[in-house]
Amino acid sequence: MINKRKLNFLSLLLGALFGFLMSRAGATTYDLHAKMFLFEDFQLMIVIGVAVLIGMIGIWWMQQQGWHSIGTGTPIQFPRKPWQKGLLFGAFLFGIGWAMTASCPGTVPAMLGEGKLPALFVFIGIVLGTLAYGVLQDMINCRRDQQ
Amino acid sequence: MHIDYWPAWIGGIGIGLFVLLHFWIIGRPAGCSTGYGNFCALACKRVKFFHTGEYEDINNTRLWFLLGIPIGGLISALLSSEPWHWSFSMGMYDAILPQSDTGKALWLIFGGMFLGFGARMAGACTTGHALVGGAMLNPPSLAAGVVFFGSAMLMTWLLFKV
Repeated sequence: MINKRKLNFLSLLLGALFGFLMSRAGATTYDLHAKMFLFEDFQLMIVIGVAVLIGMIGIWWMQQQGWHSIGTGTPIQFPRKPWQKGLLFGAFLFGIGWAMTASCPGTVPAMLGEGKLPALFVFIGIVLGTLAYGVLQDMINCRRDQQ
Repeated sequence: MHIDYWPAWIGGIGIGLFVLLHFWIIGRPAGCSTGYGNFCALACKRVKFFHTGEYEDINNTRLWFLLGIPIGGLISALLSSEPWHWSFSMGMYDAILPQSDTGKALWLIFGGMFLGFGARMAGACTTGHALVGGAMLNPPSLAAGVVFFGSAMLMTWLLFKV
């Protein structure tokens, strides 16, 4: 068990590692996204396929062995994202954004580090889109409270 | 800015091992899109959504994870053969995006809004659903991953081929 400040610092380092790996895997290279969706190049498809496979085996092993986290000292949690309302429609919208920008919420900060200025506008857009969702949720909850 | 990227299988092994390392150190799955809400919380004090539930304490690992990502991108770019420089080019996309700077900026902001809104509505992005959720063989994540790819493929095809 380590304190919150150290855990946040470790998370910063993990973020740096993830940014580096995504960059070197080609995920921050615009053309590789277009070429993947047009079936002209399979770099990113192989990357995600291999990564998911390694993750699958490792997660299965960690669950079997009941691994504990070194950050929290407690058993590692493997929460599963639920079927939430609008999941498929949200995923559809996300795909449109992915095709329009050739980036996703993970690669955008890495692109900024690489000096790619288009990512700055995508970043602003993601914050605005997230904000719009939060405001909409507040309005829905407010209406529910009034009824 | 050109990045020298590795063969796909090496990149895949690296990212796969990263997913496991994140579980081991932080004790929870890695994710990117949720952390954008932390910025919304800093900007808007009055939107309840960003101050309750998973946003109760915004000085958390998700925020610091996002702040770390540019450092990795910077290191990767500095170690690439081309010297680091600011760049505006989007490669193949330059031909199909609006040609004026204002048009391009608006296009990218709108695209980002689709990403941000869509990720919250779906519950996660490519990292949380396709990568980590896929590795956990979680059905909602697998479905979301398939739709992410399918819809991006359709839209890319419309942009480049129609």
